[in-house]
Amino acid sequence: MNSFQMAWRSVIRKPIKSILLFLVVFIISLFFLSGMASRNASIATQNKTKQAVGAGFLMEANEANKHNRADEILAKKDDGEEGNFDGVNVEKIETEYGTSWRVWYDNSFQTLLINDIEKIAAVFGISQYNITTAVTAVNPVNFSRIEDDDVDQSSDLLCVSLIGNKDMELDANVLSGNVTIRDGRMITEEDSDVCVISEELAEKNNLSVGDRIQLNDRHDVVHAAVFEAEIVGIYMVQQKMTPAMSGDTYRSENIIFTDLGFPEKAEGSTSGALYEKAYFKVADVDQYDEVKKAIQKVEIGWERYDLIDNNGNIDTMSQNFNDLENVSLILVLVVAGASLIILFLVFVFWMKGRVQEIGILLALGTPKIKILGQILLEAFMIAAAAVVLSFTAAPAASKITADYFVEQQVQQADEQSVLEEGKVAKSAEDSEETVTGVSVAVTPELMIYDWLGVAVLVMVSVGAAGILIARKNPKDIFSEIN
Amino acid sequence: MVLEVKNVSYAYKSQKEKEILKNVSMQFEEKKFYTIVGASGAGKTTFLSLLAGLDMPLEGTILYDGEDIQAKGLNYHRKHHVSLVFQNYNLIDYLTTEENVRLGGPKKPQDLLEKVSIPQEDWKRNVLQLSGGQQQRVAIARALASSAKVLLADEPTGNLDESTAEEIIELLKRTAHELGKCVIVVTHSKYLAAQADEIIMIKDGSIESAAEVFPGREDVRNIYG
Repeated sequence: MNSFQMAWRSVIRKPIKSILLFLVVFIISLFFLSGMASRNASIATQNKTKQAVGAGFLMEANEANKHNRADEILAKKDDGEEGNFDGVNVEKIETEYGTSWRVWYDNSFQTLLINDIEKIAAVFGISQYNITTAVTAVNPVNFSRIEDDDVDQSSDLLCVSLIGNKDMELDANVLSGNVTIRDGRMITEEDSDVCVISEELAEKNNLSVGDRIQLNDRHDVVHAAVFEAEIVGIYMVQQKMTPAMSGDTYRSENIIFTDLGFPEKAEGSTSGALYEKAYFKVADVDQYDEVKKAIQKVEIGWERYDLIDNNGNIDTMSQNFNDLENVSLILVLVVAGASLIILFLVFVFWMKGRVQEIGILLALGTPKIKILGQILLEAFMIAAAAVVLSFTAAPAASKITADYFVEQQVQQADEQSVLEEGKVAKSAEDSEETVTGVSVAVTPELMIYDWLGVAVLVMVSVGAAGILIARKNPKDIFSEIN
Repeated sequence: MVLEVKNVSYAYKSQKEKEILKNVSMQFEEKKFYTIVGASGAGKTTFLSLLAGLDMPLEGTILYDGEDIQAKGLNYHRKHHVSLVFQNYNLIDYLTTEENVRLGGPKKPQDLLEKVSIPQEDWKRNVLQLSGGQQQRVAIARALASSAKVLLADEPTGNLDESTAEEIIELLKRTAHELGKCVIVVTHSKYLAAQADEIIMIKDGSIESAAEVFPGREDVRNIYG
């Protein structure tokens, strides 16, 4: 009778021992799969303020990724070091209360990458695309801005806001129908040093299409170079545009649309342009879903971006979702460690219960390695069945695990937000993103990793427990039996 | 001569100064039924373990057909040269009667089970469902399944009632005389010991005269030189 036949009979005819190991391996495998699947979970979020982008897609920088990248960069620098580290600026500020640190990002660090935008724009089904810069505060040189006479302006930047567009008719404010042209035209890709101003600003300064306005860097209004932009259009709004920040600098009437390259020049940027949004228009609405899939397949660093569809759904990579990846990894490692101990104890229990059988086989001239091989074979048979069954239960278990993790993360983020309220300066108001779904997939690749993981654990545990037997000589084993 | 023990001494590794067997020499032949007797702790089972290749002597050699049993390894010795029968039967609890016998070697288990008088209806049953006497018969059948020339038994009748024990003794005798094997049995039973062709007495790790224990047995081995 060979080892396989012996192992099979032992598995079938000693069911309690087999069921015990089956349950242990089943649970281990389920935890493994859940942990691994949660690591790769994709979390669907929705931002109601970002809906109605029409038959197109909006790409924005992912905030969490921005923080993660900055953390990685800052972790590499020496303590106390100041300067610009790959676009992350660190400045030491000495005050009478002690030393504090100011950290801010320059344009090169925050901007959407033009290469990535162009790759997506090249996807079949995209008919047009637009790039929009961040709202940029600049000093008005030869005209006055709109101000609220009742507001103290001493804390304001005393600027106007520029929004650069590659193709203004695809700007979010225009797409939503809020901004329309009263006189002149919109800005196109071919334009340079042009602008479209609000009717209020035109009226206050007696400006009309064809006039030129002058603007310069707000940080040095006296010496900074002055740039001129020709007014090609005057716009009106149905409702006031939501300001990016508080203060008259950002009020709706003071927003000036320009060509894409102008804000960078006017603000005197030394770190390039800051492209904040990219919009991709789908040629055929019926092909919307196909185009979305094609876009998602484009090989760019997706973790850097959010892709927002016409429902406001955001595909965010899990690694940006706070510590989900780390938490899942910890789960996998803890399960591996605990499993090793549990399996070792199970196999020690097995070996102890089978001393007589081991003694008999030794007396019959079976080498110890073959006996351990039979036990390993039995363990693999049971483990294989348990792992296969765990594959069927894994999708549900993974979903529960991932949901739980995400819920914890959201709760933690909320608590953190409450704690930091009023204490931490933020560049812009947090957007109200809600988690609409967590999708986990137990892929064949994960199943292979799971099986390999379980197999290694079983092998190591059997090997470790087998040392107890291997160290004894047959005579000692017989003394135990008799 | 199938098995020869030459100047064998044995002690536990942890207590090397306390010898369990002291310079024992002995020869065993085929077709003979030997019994080894002696008080508890005298070294009988240790001696049998060494013959079985379950452990190695501290000094001396054990030869099988003139070759040191360590030459081909003790696993090989246990698999091909000797077969073992124990007091507590030592059958594998998840196998049937027939499967247990098949473990012993290549011979047809059905023939062997018939030879040891196990009814056919019990062949496919789990071996633990058999009576003690039947289980010991199965253990003997397993020992006979191999082509080993030596059968070693440690208290084979220790757990059996008188009549069953007698059947087992008869089976062992037949194994030696009819099947031509060398049967060596360790026992406390004077009755069983007296059935042997040769009786070997171990006292304090040495082989001594058994004449006092078995008066009238002219064949009792008297080892003094």
